[in-house]
Amino acid sequence: MIRWALLGLIRDRTRSLFPFMVVTVGVALTVALFGFMDGIGSGILDLTSKLDTGHLRFVNKPYYEEEHLIPIDRALAGQKKTHAWLKKNGDPRITWSPRIRWMALMDVPDENGETKSQTPVTGIALDLLNPQSPELERLDLANSIIAGRRPNAPKELLIGYLLAENLEVNLNDTVTLLGQSFDGGMAMDNYKVVGFVKFGIVAMDQKMALMDITGAQHTFYMDDMVTDWLGYLPTSVSYKEYPELQQTIAEHLPEWMQAPPSSWASDDEPIVLTILDQRNLRPMVEKFELIRKVNVMIFAFLMTLVLWNAGLINGVHRYGEMGLRLALGETHWELVRRLAVEAFVVGVAGSIAGCLVGGGFVYYLQEVGVDMGDAMAKSGMMLSDVVRGRLSIDGLLWGGLPGITASVLGNFIASLSVFKRSEASLFRELEVG
Amino acid sequence: MLKIDHVSKVYRVGNQDFTALHDVNLEVPAGAFMSFVGPSGSGKTTLLNLLGGLDKPTEGHVFFRDYCLDDLSREKLAEIRRQHIGFIFQSYNLLPVYSVYENILFPLLLNNEKESAVRDRVKEIIAQVGLEPETHKKPSELSGGQCQRVAIARALVKKPDLVLADEPTANLDKENSLMILDLMQELNREYKAAFIFSTHDEKVNRFVNREVRLEDGYVISDQAVESAPA
Ligand SMILES: Nc1ncnc2c1ncn2[C@@H]1O[C@H](COP(=O)(O)OP(=O)(O)O)[C@@H](O)[C@H]1O
Ligand SMILES: [Mg+2]
Repeated sequence: MIRWALLGLIRDRTRSLFPFMVVTVGVALTVALFGFMDGIGSGILDLTSKLDTGHLRFVNKPYYEEEHLIPIDRALAGQKKTHAWLKKNGDPRITWSPRIRWMALMDVPDENGETKSQTPVTGIALDLLNPQSPELERLDLANSIIAGRRPNAPKELLIGYLLAENLEVNLNDTVTLLGQSFDGGMAMDNYKVVGFVKFGIVAMDQKMALMDITGAQHTFYMDDMVTDWLGYLPTSVSYKEYPELQQTIAEHLPEWMQAPPSSWASDDEPIVLTILDQRNLRPMVEKFELIRKVNVMIFAFLMTLVLWNAGLINGVHRYGEMGLRLALGETHWELVRRLAVEAFVVGVAGSIAGCLVGGGFVYYLQEVGVDMGDAMAKSGMMLSDVVRGRLSIDGLLWGGLPGITASVLGNFIASLSVFKRSEASLFRELEVG
Repeated sequence: MLKIDHVSKVYRVGNQDFTALHDVNLEVPAGAFMSFVGPSGSGKTTLLNLLGGLDKPTEGHVFFRDYCLDDLSREKLAEIRRQHIGFIFQSYNLLPVYSVYENILFPLLLNNEKESAVRDRVKEIIAQVGLEPETHKKPSELSGGQCQRVAIARALVKKPDLVLADEPTANLDKENSLMILDLMQELNREYKAAFIFSTHDEKVNRFVNREVRLEDGYVISDQAVESAPA
């Protein structure tokens, strides 16, 4: 019987092609939009985590509270001890990387040693010298350095390519950094600019400099100190798991605070944050999820509506067939059920096609990306100028399942009209042919 | 096998009652071959409806096999039609997307038969109605007479007790009408199913064993026909 119904679907395209197209288009759009938003969302999370917050962040509370001032005097001492403690008390999947955020005035001299240009820069110091450092891949330095090379000495500097343009800095120029040291004194040091970086985020490319962490520790008198410990998890771990991982570490903290490292100040008190706790990301992520769900619901609703109508048209188209089948002794419910099976088949086929089309688009976005030019970069969001999609099983399910449901539901509602047909008039109706 | 006992059918049109059948009594033995003859509007279709469990009488009872049809639910009536009654329509009502073979197979699928188990039966009846070369053709490729032969095969393939045909020859020319009647007669003998068909064509009476004449909802005559030539 099912085979018989399938033959009908294949041979009579008016009963299958339009519903199939509706489901295909609806599912493709849902999957595409879902993947696109997922791509933007995880793109923001990904970039923010790499450049700024990690997935988890271990930081001194007094520092964090004044973070906008980059108060390096509230950095956390005991680098080695802290690292060991984090490794011991955090989930083994987390990789911890020490960083120092710093701020300084960058002075570019001319040939005569006079100031040619000058600007405040914010910078990150991180492990750049060790060729095995996970930070190299994290910042995609191989590709981000668009001129010059990676530092191989503590007093070498990478700067944003726009910053270099603005200050007319050339490769291998020596610049002077003037800042505040850990103990509140004046810090001043010369660095050699060995490379220009481009992250595709205007704010960073204009203001940012990178150096090895040992350089910063030396320049700012921060021996054995860091401002941040950033914890990174493999991509297989969803951001939804971060709070739980945060919790496990936080639970061990009071115990440590009973006997903190002797190098800590009396009011030093580290805290653990997830990326979602920072930069307003939790509301953003929640908004994204909501938009995605609403979007899926709207598409599912529209699909159901269209398919309901398609079902009604189909009912007119197959009026004679339905009448005949009732006369031959198929009950109304059997008819409705068999039509639902047909709709299910069409829904599955359409959903598969829609997943292929929408998924293909998202896959393209994911692998190739679309260069949105300055629009994105200038938006101030931590989002690179190349927008990428993200293809996931989730995205396909969120598109495909509503496609199948809409097909079955729309058809079911439409097919209920067979109940209005009374057997008593079948002979007369069928006479008309 | 089939009995109609003091049956009346009243249609309500607006707030007017219209009596389409007046106190009809009939008894049809198994294997009968009979016709309802009468002008258009005389109540033939209404009567076939009642016999086939498609409608219920306003008064009186319809008995088929061991059932009293006017007591039964819609579902039970559908089941009886599915299993025991074949239908033939004036305008054939073949399913256009299916081949001759598949159209004839359909009533068997409705009765939960497996195609593999009934394939030979379907092929046999196709041969009996003389459509072997057309087995895999679609209805649109067939003539009217051929379509009606498919419809006859479809009605008979489940070996029903009763075949109801409403004006089966009305859409056919004379030659084809005679061929169809001939075929029905032959299969009536072979399958031992009772055939009842309605017609307003006087010429068909030379085929039937019995003719029931209707006029304005009354049975005006019910007689055996002597000469039923082969
Ligand atoms: N559903 C109905 N409602 C009202 N009147 C009907 C209905 N069906 C049939 N009739 C009337 O009953 C009479 C008999 O109709 P019918 O049985 O179709 O006659 P026949 O088949 O002999 O032409 C006709 O006058 C017709 O108008
Ligand atoms: Mg009629």
